[in-house]
Amino acid sequence: MNQVGNKQNTFSLTKRLKRLKRDVNKWSVLTLTIVFFLALPVISIGVELFSGPGETWSHIVEYLLFQYISNSLYLIFFCSFLVLVFGVSSAWFISRFNFPFRKQIEWLLILPLTIPSYIVGYAYAGIFDYGGSLDMLFRQFNLDFIRIDIMNRTGLAFILSISLFPYVYVSARAFFLNQANNLLEASKMLGINEGKTFFKLMLPLARPAIIAGLILVIMEVLNDYGAASYYGVNTFTTGIFRSWFSLEEPQTAIYLSALLVAIIFALILFEKWQIRKVRFTSSKTNDTQIHRKDPNKPMQWLIFTIVFIPVLLGFIIPLSQLIYWAFLTASTVFDIKFIMLSLQSFGIAISSALITVFFALILIYFSKWSALRLVKNISRVGVMGYAIPGAVIAIGIMLPTIALDKWLIQTLKSFGIDSGFIVNGTLIALFYAYTVRFLAVAYNPIESTTLKVDSSISDSSKVLGVGNLKTFFKIEFPLIKAGVFSAVILVFIDVMKELPLTLILKPYAIDTLAVKAFEYASDEMVMEASIPSLFIIFTAMIPVIFLNKLLIKR
Amino acid sequence: MLIVESLSKSFNKGKNYSVEDVSFQLKKGNVCAIVGESGSGKTTLVRLIAGLERPNSGTIYLDGKVIVSIDKFVQPEKRNIGLVFQEYALFPHLTVFDNILYGISKRKDKKQRVREMLELVGLSDMEDRYPHQLSGGQQQRVALARALAPEPSLLILDEPFSNLDTMMREQLRNEVFDIIKKTDATVLFVTHDTQDALAVADEILILQNGKVVQKDAASNLYINPNTLYVASLFGNTIHINKNLQDAFHCPLKPNCSHAIRNEKIKVNPKTGDPECEHLTKAFIVKKIELGDYVQLILKLETGDQLTVVTKDKSIEGTIVIGFNSKDILEFKE
Repeated sequence: MNQVGNKQNTFSLTKRLKRLKRDVNKWSVLTLTIVFFLALPVISIGVELFSGPGETWSHIVEYLLFQYISNSLYLIFFCSFLVLVFGVSSAWFISRFNFPFRKQIEWLLILPLTIPSYIVGYAYAGIFDYGGSLDMLFRQFNLDFIRIDIMNRTGLAFILSISLFPYVYVSARAFFLNQANNLLEASKMLGINEGKTFFKLMLPLARPAIIAGLILVIMEVLNDYGAASYYGVNTFTTGIFRSWFSLEEPQTAIYLSALLVAIIFALILFEKWQIRKVRFTSSKTNDTQIHRKDPNKPMQWLIFTIVFIPVLLGFIIPLSQLIYWAFLTASTVFDIKFIMLSLQSFGIAISSALITVFFALILIYFSKWSALRLVKNISRVGVMGYAIPGAVIAIGIMLPTIALDKWLIQTLKSFGIDSGFIVNGTLIALFYAYTVRFLAVAYNPIESTTLKVDSSISDSSKVLGVGNLKTFFKIEFPLIKAGVFSAVILVFIDVMKELPLTLILKPYAIDTLAVKAFEYASDEMVMEASIPSLFIIFTAMIPVIFLNKLLIKR
Repeated sequence: MLIVESLSKSFNKGKNYSVEDVSFQLKKGNVCAIVGESGSGKTTLVRLIAGLERPNSGTIYLDGKVIVSIDKFVQPEKRNIGLVFQEYALFPHLTVFDNILYGISKRKDKKQRVREMLELVGLSDMEDRYPHQLSGGQQQRVALARALAPEPSLLILDEPFSNLDTMMREQLRNEVFDIIKKTDATVLFVTHDTQDALAVADEILILQNGKVVQKDAASNLYINPNTLYVASLFGNTIHINKNLQDAFHCPLKPNCSHAIRNEKIKVNPKTGDPECEHLTKAFIVKKIELGDYVQLILKLETGDQLTVVTKDKSIEGTIVIGFNSKDILEFKE
């Protein structure tokens, strides 16, 4: 009896408070501060909801909201279907069979990710247009051009699918390569044939990995602004842009953003719910690589054709179109101003990559050094930015920064200093937004490398009398360098490609390659958009090939 | 001197306790082994002492100072406790020399000290190697040298031999403790192997489900175990239940439980050992050859099964077994 009393006593409120006082440290406070700033965009949108909807809100609900929802749903379902077909089939064939050019196609299948979907959209618009590449091809053979109109939501869904399927391909392939071998052998030993093994065993097992890739695709679909606006499809994102810029009604934009965020959170909850039953204990990473089969020659070429189609559609065709345009427009576009613009774009991407990685490291380590488990759990909130569309983040950052700037101007005035906006419309706001949006991109590779480093290594450093910061610089950082490096590269690529957030928040005088391409395309100069587009693609391509090599080596 | 006072730690807000109300003391220069099965909380206990976990309640004193209590927490880096991890946890990107130097980089005579430690563990010619270039035993000695270099008030060894095979284990254990004996360190030694504990410890602390079951001098634990559990940790033990009491005709005290160690049961084919006080007949069900002795699985007239060992390999059929009153272990319930 006495012991039961004792136990309850251990967790009495006063004891808990005493322990809280003992265990709270500067790292806990700093972690919470950073998480607050990372969550601020969403918080501000939430707070602004209470100011009531804008004037046009009822009009939008009546006439446009249904269209936004139905278009977005249409895109989600269409894209999900296509990316699953492309992504899972290619991942399975690549990891299970030998066929000609398998090695080359293995990384070619990742390359569609280097072309932002709006650029794929421009290229295909050019191909299917009157006087476009297909038209010219038909005329070569004296055929009548049967024009297929792709400037609609089905066309847009196709564009998004062929440019986003690698997300599913990459996560499914990683599962098939690392996890599947012993199960596959077990299935073989039980005398199960290839097809049944795939549908009954591998597909259900790979489901969590595949769905994780699919969720990324859906988030990108909801994030897209460039392609949807070019194809004239009304989605949530284009609606947010229109209410903010054309209708100049921030409140309406905020309401749409809140609705979009709610839909995304529902999606994430759905994902958590769907893996709740299937949290398979991943068999310990086995070193044995999956054993590939050698089908007969015709079969091998058939497989080659199947896996080459997505490469052709998502990479080779749009890239060729862009290169063709680049030859036509090089003389008008390529000048010293353009070189300056490229350098500016690189500079912004590198700086924001470094800043983002810096904050990812801070979030990972500060929350580790905080002795409170609650703080560790809360720190995960800081990573949610990747789920939230760029346009929404941009608006969520506009709101508090404008308020801050107004306050700063007032305060400075009372000291007799006149100033303009200090945060809003400057690089500070832009970097802030990139950090919020891409923190997860940096966080995940770094976190997974830190997990590979045995925690007893940093523990032994502490026991040897060395504090947290010094342990980080002397022991942990040297061991996670590779992860940090790939994080910098991944964020760099994402910032290079980023469009909606940059469009809203960029300082007036500053442009990026992505913005330039968008501006050309919106000004009916889609051919001229090819050169900035190619610059983005090539800079994104080199590190992707490089990182994929690292990936295969492991 | 280390004093632990009613230390408790729960990882799930009090649903279960990994360490529950643990108290003990360790005198300077002594070696104390913490013995328990996996999951008994022994690693959590030493991590609490080292400052790598925070307790829910209880106090720990080291050399007269509070290092943790309900309202105080001294960071692990300020405790001056050495810890050798199960997996050694050497810094993979530093040489042997730099690994040992790491914890004493502020000392003036640091290089001198590293050389001393290298000599102590017999690795003077390996100072430029990296951990992956060393054998398991060598890594272990580097880890030991690294932990000893700052002259810790307390040295903790967390299952240091569990990664090694049996052959190497004994040799390495003796080597490691020969080194430690030379330094007069106060040592907490976590192990699940009672042989290791008996071989090197001055005193042994037995943990079961996070609680201390017994703490005693190593020599005393075998003779006077507190519970049947402790008795069975140090060799195979038979619980003397009501049936066995009847079979052996040995009336025992009520409100107590009793046990006898297998090796204390004497086996005599025909008449039984005249020196045995309690005898019974048994039939050999199965005979298992184990090198220079055999294990017998016996069936008594009461139907109970017993396992005993004997050196007499020719033994067959029905035999007589017995034991003496003085060998009976008695536990209060």
